[in-house]
Amino acid sequence: MSALSRHRALTAIWGSPRGWRGTVSSVNHSDIGRRFILAAFAFFAIGGVLAMLIRAQLATPGSAFVGPEIYNQLFTMHGSIMMFLFAIPMFEGLALYLLPKMLGSRDMAFPRLSAYGWWCYVFGGSILIAALALGVAPDSGWFMYTPLSSKAYTPGINADVWLLGITFVEISAVSAAIEITVSILRLRAPGMRLDRMPLLAWYLLVTALMMVVAFPPLILGSILLEVERAFGWPFFDPLRGGSPLLWQHLFWLFGHPEVYIIFLPAAGVVSTVLPVMARTRILGYGWIIAALLALAFLSFGLWVHHMFTTGIPHMALGFFSAASALVAVPTALQIFAWIGTLWKGRPELKLPMLYLLGFFVIFVLGGLTGVMLAMVPFDWQAHDTHFVVAHLHYVLVGGFVFPMLAGAYYWLPHFTGRARIPLLGEAAFWLILIGFNLTFFLMHLTGLLGMPRRIYTYPADMGWTWLNLLSSVGSFIMAFGFAMFAVDVALQIFLSRRARRNPWGAHTLEWAMPLPAPAYNFASQPRVADGEPLAADPDLPLRLARGEGYLAEIRRGWRETMAVDVTTGAVDHVIILPGNTRLPIITALATGCFFLALLFGFYWLAPLPLVVVTVLGWRWAWTLGWREEIGPVPIGAGETALTHREAAGAPGWWGSVFLLVADGTLLGSLLFGYAFLWVVAPNWPPPELIAAGLPQGAVAALAALAGTVLTRLAASAGVAGNNAASSRWASLAVGAQAVVIAALLWLGLAELPAPTGHAYAASSWAMIAYGVLHAFIALLCAAFIRARIASGHIRKGRVLETSVAQLFGDYAGLATWLILACVLAPLVLA
Amino acid sequence: MMLLARASAGLIFWAFGFSVLYGLHGIGCAYGWPSTEVGGGNLFRWVMVASWLLLCAGGAALIWLAKAAPSGLERRLSLTSAVVGCAATFVTGLPVAVTSACV
Repeated sequence: MSALSRHRALTAIWGSPRGWRGTVSSVNHSDIGRRFILAAFAFFAIGGVLAMLIRAQLATPGSAFVGPEIYNQLFTMHGSIMMFLFAIPMFEGLALYLLPKMLGSRDMAFPRLSAYGWWCYVFGGSILIAALALGVAPDSGWFMYTPLSSKAYTPGINADVWLLGITFVEISAVSAAIEITVSILRLRAPGMRLDRMPLLAWYLLVTALMMVVAFPPLILGSILLEVERAFGWPFFDPLRGGSPLLWQHLFWLFGHPEVYIIFLPAAGVVSTVLPVMARTRILGYGWIIAALLALAFLSFGLWVHHMFTTGIPHMALGFFSAASALVAVPTALQIFAWIGTLWKGRPELKLPMLYLLGFFVIFVLGGLTGVMLAMVPFDWQAHDTHFVVAHLHYVLVGGFVFPMLAGAYYWLPHFTGRARIPLLGEAAFWLILIGFNLTFFLMHLTGLLGMPRRIYTYPADMGWTWLNLLSSVGSFIMAFGFAMFAVDVALQIFLSRRARRNPWGAHTLEWAMPLPAPAYNFASQPRVADGEPLAADPDLPLRLARGEGYLAEIRRGWRETMAVDVTTGAVDHVIILPGNTRLPIITALATGCFFLALLFGFYWLAPLPLVVVTVLGWRWAWTLGWREEIGPVPIGAGETALTHREAAGAPGWWGSVFLLVADGTLLGSLLFGYAFLWVVAPNWPPPELIAAGLPQGAVAALAALAGTVLTRLAASAGVAGNNAASSRWASLAVGAQAVVIAALLWLGLAELPAPTGHAYAASSWAMIAYGVLHAFIALLCAAFIRARIASGHIRKGRVLETSVAQLFGDYAGLATWLILACVLAPLVLA
Repeated sequence: MMLLARASAGLIFWAFGFSVLYGLHGIGCAYGWPSTEVGGGNLFRWVMVASWLLLCAGGAALIWLAKAAPSGLERRLSLTSAVVGCAATFVTGLPVAVTSACV
């Protein structure tokens, strides 16, 4: 087959239909990645306009530009948009677009999940922006502290918009995290060992793993606060045994790692672009990986430094202050590695390099003020002043926006296939750099002069006037810079000349393809033998286009890509990915209906979209797979491999593992909350504790154990080809999970106090609800196995579906036992 | 996956130790351990310092174990993770010896 015919055939398989059909059905990673990036930039523009309104208000003392109600919405939405609708989705978009190309793969592991995440993001973000336009936007700060965000002090819909809208958007973040993790671990080019992976992939892997465990505490907090607001369960109400500090713990358990989740992908961009600009290899590849692992873990031990002024005892403050200072060490190690790389190489002052130099200056300043704020005595002085505003903008804009702008200019030829128009980008850079420093450097001074955050005006005699005026002027200069960047990108897309291949002379695989990238990425997948494949083999792009790599032959119109061993990169199996479908958008719409029903208080209606989502989820899984035997298939180079349904450790299994890690973190956060309230909250012990319930608990525990064992028996019988036994065990597992649900509900209804009376009862009920939900999921999994055996999809040697059902069965059993231990503990200990 | 597990082991150990110390601090303060006199000190301080020292010893043991990792990147990451985990356990736990207990 000629290169041109292969290109046409692969485009027909991997491409999307033109027009609106393609828009709603495409699951291709390049399409979804581009959409994420464009939408994130649009949200960035909205957040930027809000920032300009804030600066317009603060430019002069006693300003009547906006009142306090609108001002509260402005700063709340500015923060929320920038964190949840810009920074995270922007990096998700970059990861979705670039990762398969850098890893030598044809797509991500779960293309439909990418598309579902995209639609959840855009629908959730739209809810927030619509609320802003209607004047009912959230107004309690981007961290939604209780009791300000509780029903008593925010009786309107504003806080609900945040809690439900952001939770909706977070579905997208968790989806992307699982997708990125599995794709990096399994979907690489053969031969790409972990120590040959591009550094950006390492950064994204660590970031995605952080997201898997960082987002669940916030999701839990949002659910609990929404339940408190909607139904009066007093998790955060100190009068009824709750604690506002629990919200702060759950929020910052997410919120501080979030800063590193935003920074690390951008640092990955620095580690990718900087050596190319310096015309050398990165210095200290292994040390950088060690540093980013240390950074990832340590970042989870800092969250209380946002709570230094809440009255926490000195010893606990000491733990977190020490960890906050310690995290500067791995950060500095990366900075030194980058400086060393520049020193070793022959740097060229091209536009991406300009932005990297801007990043160095701004981020280092932000890091230094971070170390200052990590010291408790200084934090007590500067807390909630504009000094903190200056610090966080130096870290986030310096640590994310500048590297991403460098990355934008570096990879734009890849997206557009066109070269840049000279000079406009340089002008934009200087406007952004000067404007940024004018705005935020002066804020250090206003903060040190005592100007608090989140005040909508100030009197003239405070001495803050000229500093604020100059800050506002700076913010408008910066806005002009960003507008100029947008114009520059638009000109490049629509007017500029075509770019040559690999315009920077880079050595990573994303440049081993025509520009702009085709839908299938590689006509055939490479075998990688070096960390910089194009340096080791400059003719690689040509050979791949000629079909001299893996999976060059087209088979049954399948979307095929290679899966490799996690560590060694050896060929493992062939993954057959699903094609374009409208299932993701329909499922996201149904999910959105659930959130809207809650938002408008139609609680009686909310179960209906949940049922629809469940049915769609079943359909989602059902449409995959096939009945006939495939066996080993030729993959090129005289080798053969099994397809993923017949091989162990397929992406679906790995994705389920990481989903359960996220789920387990949510359960862990719930148990932490329960223990925290017992130990710290006022008005404990509760007036009424569980007084009986051991029989119901015993039934639930035994049924949970039976459910786990029966699902395992069904799985092993299915893989062994004993369909009758497998079907029987699966039916019994369904029954066992039904008994778990009934026993848990019986325990709660018969023995627990009403959940509105005290946080103890509310927490116990929350745990019961968690157990019931997971027993139901395990029930569905067992029923699915039963149905797939009947339809002939599960047969001897097909391990994927049974192994996934087994995972969920095991997890449900474990969760039920943990929950019963916590709920029944007061009874047993009494 | 063993590479990732080894590369994270020391840091996971630090996270475990950090959680243990913070959890013990909360429980000890809630149940009045500082006011229970034991062996010339109070129960709270004894428990916290003993736990911290045990954790530091555990971190040191992990460094010794990490030396057995396969050579190359895997050993370097394992050793670095173990050293960072042990050092972080020492530094972040140091307040148990020098700060006031529950105020």
